[in-house]
Amino acid sequence: MENFEPEIVAFCCHYCAYTAADMAGSKRLSYPPNVKIIRVPCTGKVDAIHIMKALLKGADGVYVAGCLEGDCHFKNGNIRAAHRVAYVQKMLNDIGWDGERVEMITMSAGMGERFAQTAKEFTEKIRQLGPSPAKTAAGQAAVG
Amino acid sequence: MEERNDIVNEPSAHPKVLVIGGGVGGIRAALDLAESRRNVVLIDKAYAIGGLMTQLDRTFPTNNCDLCTVSPDLSESGRQHRMELMPMTTLVDIQGEAGNFTVTLETAPRHIDVSKCTACGECVAKYPDWVRFTPGLDPRAPTCMRYPQATPFAFSVDMEKVEDIKALQAVCRAEAILSDDQPKTATVNIASVVLSVGAELFDPAVLDHFGGGQLANVVTGLQYERIMSASGPTAGELVRPSDGVRPKKVAWIQCVGSRGINRADVPYCSSVCCMYALKEAIVTKERFASDIEATIFYMDMRTCGKDYELYLNRAKNDYGVQLIRSRPHSIIEDPQTGNLSITYTTDEESRHLTEVFDMVVLSTGFRVQESTVELARRLGIELNIHLFAKTEAFSPVSTSKPGIYVCGVFESPKDIPETMVQASAAACMAGADLHMDLSDPQAEDDFPPERDVSGEPPKIGVFVCDCGFDIGGVIPVNEVVASVAKLSDVVVAESVGYGCSGDSMLRIEQMIREHGLNRVVIGGCSPRTHETRFQDLLRRVGLNKYLVDIVNLRDQDTWAHMDRPADAAKKAEKLLRMGITGVRKSRPLVDHTLPVNQNILVIGGGVTGMNAALQMAELGFKVYLIDRAPDLGGLARSVRSTIEGGDVSAYIADLVQKVRANDKIQVMTRTIIVDHSGMPGLFTTGVQSGPRMNYMQIQHGAAILATGAMPNRPKEYLLGENDGVMTQLDLDSVIADMPDQAKGWNQVVMIQCVGSREPGNPNCSRICCATAIKNALRLKALNADTQIYVLYRDMRTYGFSEDYYAEARQAGVKFIRYQLDDKPVVAETDGQLTVTALDPVLGRRIEIAADRVVLSTGLRADDETTEDLAMLFHVARTDDGYFLEDHVKLRPVDMALKGFFIAGTAHSPKNIKESITQALAAAGRAQALLAKTTINLGASIAKVDGNRCAACLVCVRACPFGVPFINADGYSEIDPAKCHGCGVCAADCPAKAIQLMTFEDDQILAKLDGLFERLN
Repeated sequence: MENFEPEIVAFCCHYCAYTAADMAGSKRLSYPPNVKIIRVPCTGKVDAIHIMKALLKGADGVYVAGCLEGDCHFKNGNIRAAHRVAYVQKMLNDIGWDGERVEMITMSAGMGERFAQTAKEFTEKIRQLGPSPAKTAAGQAAVG
Repeated sequence: MEERNDIVNEPSAHPKVLVIGGGVGGIRAALDLAESRRNVVLIDKAYAIGGLMTQLDRTFPTNNCDLCTVSPDLSESGRQHRMELMPMTTLVDIQGEAGNFTVTLETAPRHIDVSKCTACGECVAKYPDWVRFTPGLDPRAPTCMRYPQATPFAFSVDMEKVEDIKALQAVCRAEAILSDDQPKTATVNIASVVLSVGAELFDPAVLDHFGGGQLANVVTGLQYERIMSASGPTAGELVRPSDGVRPKKVAWIQCVGSRGINRADVPYCSSVCCMYALKEAIVTKERFASDIEATIFYMDMRTCGKDYELYLNRAKNDYGVQLIRSRPHSIIEDPQTGNLSITYTTDEESRHLTEVFDMVVLSTGFRVQESTVELARRLGIELNIHLFAKTEAFSPVSTSKPGIYVCGVFESPKDIPETMVQASAAACMAGADLHMDLSDPQAEDDFPPERDVSGEPPKIGVFVCDCGFDIGGVIPVNEVVASVAKLSDVVVAESVGYGCSGDSMLRIEQMIREHGLNRVVIGGCSPRTHETRFQDLLRRVGLNKYLVDIVNLRDQDTWAHMDRPADAAKKAEKLLRMGITGVRKSRPLVDHTLPVNQNILVIGGGVTGMNAALQMAELGFKVYLIDRAPDLGGLARSVRSTIEGGDVSAYIADLVQKVRANDKIQVMTRTIIVDHSGMPGLFTTGVQSGPRMNYMQIQHGAAILATGAMPNRPKEYLLGENDGVMTQLDLDSVIADMPDQAKGWNQVVMIQCVGSREPGNPNCSRICCATAIKNALRLKALNADTQIYVLYRDMRTYGFSEDYYAEARQAGVKFIRYQLDDKPVVAETDGQLTVTALDPVLGRRIEIAADRVVLSTGLRADDETTEDLAMLFHVARTDDGYFLEDHVKLRPVDMALKGFFIAGTAHSPKNIKESITQALAAAGRAQALLAKTTINLGASIAKVDGNRCAACLVCVRACPFGVPFINADGYSEIDPAKCHGCGVCAADCPAKAIQLMTFEDDQILAKLDGLFERLN
């Protein structure tokens, strides 16, 4: 497990977290390259299936990054996303996976530091948790 | 190579509007003009547009991050092709007259070719002193971009500092640095000018009693914003400048340099400082620590904007911000600790009080810059005594010179929403000076017809930018390209240098044609900034613009991981794979468009509605102006005079006559609205009209709600019981119609805030303080011996109406403050009215015998009307019954429902001048919509597959905008004209019958496949 490099998928809202990631870049703030972003128009678009499929296909951790509460461009998409993430967490716990592998994070577009910081923290957490059970169950070595 | 098109030097084939000043007001005005199909030149003397707002941390009352709110507007302004953006440019000469001016513009050398600069920051990293930055608090390496989202997204070089230009040029891989850049002069033919030059903030360093600029922990409001700002000098940490420690006690001192008579003071009120101090105090407690003590020393709390009183209440009650009514005497620093003692007195305490703070913020207001005074002289426009642009009460955005309009702070001190309203109003007026043929079909961009790619297998071209050092310096671009070239369906993969440069674009176009590509992946910078550019490239070669995917290799890979180049290269490869698998699933999409009906419905025939109607008619649109009353004129018919002495009755009579005479306006009085349907650009509204209530339908593309507000008449202080008690509106008529009666009064008592700023109607009516002053001065003019007492809570004579407040005090009007929990008492004994109130200065109760008691009752929302209309039109209202705008700061006249606009007191209480401004703004915004023959709704819209839909209603409940409904065929239907494109319904749909176009599930899953190498 020494050299385990987790694969992290981040579903990022175009209006906030995606922009914050760009800001982190423009400020040259370093964060783990394990994080790969998929842009969505709103975190409300992120389906439980997207999160589950990401885990099944090989992600060790998935987070959904949306706007701060009250700042959603579409009124309440981020709140809905938070509910869905909580639902997926519960489901994962129920089947004996770590619900912690998925998380909802909020930030505003200007928070480049927060983007980098949360990317670091989440990656570290997943590193501690180890590879996704999807991989070990299938008897596969970590892809990567 | 194509020639760069320098539009400005072309002699005017199409006349333009010149907008001077690139702050939020100027940007709004320019965007409005461009949207309504006028060509615009926007000049600013700074090297990036954005103005003052970009320096603020958060803005009231939403406490949003400003950069996030303003940057979409800024990037929009980078894209509008009708708009020529000229930073570092000033006006040196103007000749001619309205409709046909010739202006000479001078652009200072930037020493950077903006078209080549990629804003990589290498130059500033190597030679921080040579590139330009804004001096201020910023102790970090100076950056020459004022803020991270600057437009244009490019640097500038300060040649005076440069020692070795060759060395600097060597650093720039984009070869954007120009050693011999010279000032450029251009002559432009323009029809009209919008002045939005703003003002600067007072520098309190001249005030010795506040430390004369020498005390480290005394900062101005703007400096405090920078300290709190994420992009500021402390990267968003709230710390004291002296020792870098977080303060525990912060004080704000209001009216520094404003509302004063001392040296360096100006007499007017800057209108924004009360709100910004409250905001800074709230944000301090909210974001940093709730136990930081925040204290505001103020003279009058002027929170008189829409819902601003609620903000004040929140500050006091929810956040525990302390408010002390006092103008402090001095600030003394303890040199050991850097702590600051404020000495002050209050009404209640006769002795001096002293309190120690860790930090003091001076709330400074607006001053017109000297360069602005000089510009005004060059333009030949008149200024008022405070050096702001002179305007008249009934033509609020017109300067003294025809064809030159003004908006924003240079007209008078104001906040962002008011600036936005005025900007739209000024743009509307300036646009009217440029003739526009409404029947002329929209000048379409010149793209060839789209090739049908539906039957073709995917043929993908991958083009990766090295962006000079920015990508190519971190990862081996050629190797990365080679690694993805082998993937299935990839026909071409190559490295293209600066992909966004002209020759690279041509190269990509050529490759698309040569190989018959039907999908394109660009590996480069962020799609946020460059997607449109590459979409246009595809359109030029006849491909649908949704067949391209921009992979963010720079901002989200090489910039962030430059410390781990090998990992960055691996990530780049994976990101490109995701782009390739994703784009394979992309399909051609058609932007939804709708034809526009160019008629407009204006509801409400008061001053606001009539002004909006006249302006729309002037612009050539057919107007339906309806009012339920038998006559036009509205509430303003009972107002006789403005505070400046303008004759309101004569103005209304003239306005009614003009409206009635205009053959483009169909006036329908005694008319009510009974039904409504349709979509933006194509509404149908049913009305009943006349004595027989005949039904008819009106087809219209947009609507302006100008239904006004109601005069408040609460049953309080014997109003309606005693003839000696009246409202300010009643008094207005008495003074005008029975001056002899008014002349005979010995003592008059006015009571402010009657029926407002208290539970039940918590907001401030905004207009009553100035109205009371106006009537007091008119009474004094009739009889200087009449004693007038004004019982008030805060005198809210914002802006230049402060002058009249000072005049009233000079004339001997007495002002006595009362508290909400100890209101004055009005009583009648033997026909004599008396008013009893606690005088806080004397510290005891006084009794005033009054000939008349005049109540400042202000306005309340016309609740019944707004409720009915809100139900009919599906538009939102505030808690107190006013219509709710789409965005309180940035879209103050647009409603969330596209095609609907609000103006006047239906939006919030405001005076006649402000109502007219908003009427013009609403007309301007409406014409921007109606000037188009079609509306583009984009393609990112949810689509239902009727065969899979089980009509379970999940989407109906989930949609934040209430768009889906179950149609006659029994499945969910989503009207593309109403869909906002968030995708919530698609995510919630249990049958997966809904897909959000451009973000379809198969594309998202394909990206995951690409990432995890399950390539098919």
